[in-house]
Amino acid sequence: MAIDDIPRLGCGRSIDRIWATIDRPPTAHEEKCGQCQTARTQLRGLSEATRSLRESDLHNPALKPRPGVKNAIMDVARAEVRQGSRILLRSADTGITEISEQALSSLIRSAAAAIPGVHPRRCRIEIRAAAASLAGEDHPAGTTVMATDAGPRLIVNLRVAAAPGIVIPLAAEALRHEISSAIPAGVGIGAGTVNIIVEDLYDV
Amino acid sequence: MSDEPLQGSIITSQLIASLASRTTLETPGVLRLEPTIQGFLARLGPSLQHLRNPGSQDSTFRHDGVTATISGATARVHLDIATDIAYTALDVAEAVQRRVQESISHTGLTPGAVDVTILAIEHRRGTANM
Amino acid sequence: MDDHGPGLEPDLDEGSIVARAQDGDLAAFEHLVLTYQSRLFRLAYRMLNDRGDAEDIVQETLTTSWRALPMLADVDAFGGWIYRLATNKSLDLLRKRSAHAEDIIDSDDMDTMPGARACAVSARWDPAHEAEWSAEQNGLTALLSTLPPAQRACWLLREMHGRSYAEIGVTLKISPTAVRGTLARARHQIAEGMSQWR
Repeated sequence: MAIDDIPRLGCGRSIDRIWATIDRPPTAHEEKCGQCQTARTQLRGLSEATRSLRESDLHNPALKPRPGVKNAIMDVARAEVRQGSRILLRSADTGITEISEQALSSLIRSAAAAIPGVHPRRCRIEIRAAAASLAGEDHPAGTTVMATDAGPRLIVNLRVAAAPGIVIPLAAEALRHEISSAIPAGVGIGAGTVNIIVEDLYDV
Repeated sequence: MSDEPLQGSIITSQLIASLASRTTLETPGVLRLEPTIQGFLARLGPSLQHLRNPGSQDSTFRHDGVTATISGATARVHLDIATDIAYTALDVAEAVQRRVQESISHTGLTPGAVDVTILAIEHRRGTANM
Repeated sequence: MDDHGPGLEPDLDEGSIVARAQDGDLAAFEHLVLTYQSRLFRLAYRMLNDRGDAEDIVQETLTTSWRALPMLADVDAFGGWIYRLATNKSLDLLRKRSAHAEDIIDSDDMDTMPGARACAVSARWDPAHEAEWSAEQNGLTALLSTLPPAQRACWLLREMHGRSYAEIGVTLKISPTAVRGTLARARHQIAEGMSQWR
């Protein structure tokens, strides 16, 4: 039997078609055809049993994994946590101080969460060599550059999803402002360049 | 793990790690030390560490978020920390480095570099979470 | 009700949560675990009829998802992807089980006794739990266990979990049309079986 071969009754009706119309009144053929009537009754019974199994499984407290399962998953995730690359913040006689890209990007997302109508998504952070010139580089419109002497020069690329109807340039500007003050406050270095990429709309 | 005293010293890398750990956690703005996969591997057994560092004369001890190494009379420490978002992480790291060096010097060893990696910056939470 | 897990804003869309988990955000990943672990457990339990095995599938699936998340191109495809992982892990386990079963049971017996597979599976059920069930549900789940694994997966994904034909097709490596056919045959077989019980 071919894999997409749909079973048919002796009268030629496909099971699929009967299934699709079991909630409707029988057609003229179905009213006369004994095979169709039997199939309709059977499938209606199956449909009810299916609905009731779905509901009872959904609400059955026994059909959930034990709490240990989630704990085991999270233990692995924590042990294998992706910290991204390390960004050197300062090198001194007492030792070096680094921050993980992950820590920096979650600080950035947490700052971005203060702006209504945008949901922060992935965040990539690049480091520009101190001597690099801005001239000739391709930047999205509205890029903010904050000059700072201390620490690495960051290029933050934050992707966001926006609520439909949001004024994107205003939201992007507000985001840049939040992020540009959160990084010096939380980390102690300048925010550098903050690029906002609106990649998607989310349903509200 | 290194219970063996080195060069007649009674100071072990385990002791340095535990000192550094306590000093770090007492520094304002530090939320916790962050265990990492390297620390996790270290806990699996000393044999693994020897495989990773064959023939080394250094004594190294790793525990969740802290690595302490004694070579000669110098103790070096690496710390993986999470800091409170209400503080500036670089300032917290600087305070940690200063305090840890100070506590190492009390043992008679020479404080070497105290390297700090900030692995999270978070809001301080109640005990209900995590 | 706060079911977003620790540290997430309340109204975040799933795509954004997935994107954060891709960047290594543990709170975001924990939210996804809480969202999907029971769904995946119900799927795996109905595939395998064994709590321990179903828990293993949930754990393996979500652990795999953490490792492979950065490779997921479309954040909105997470649900389909995680269902696909769990379904295929369940099918793999069933293949291993049947290979093992053939070592100890003469395979001729299996072929000549259509009920044997259902009985073998029934024996693994937790009787205290199953006793609370209506006869109808018992009948349905018993019949479900007699379906070939891919057909059972197809039926569960569609009827219990509402996944799309296109997604089920990708999971089972068949066309959406073939999904339709497989579903129709599964329904037909279960409906026939149910009528014989009455």
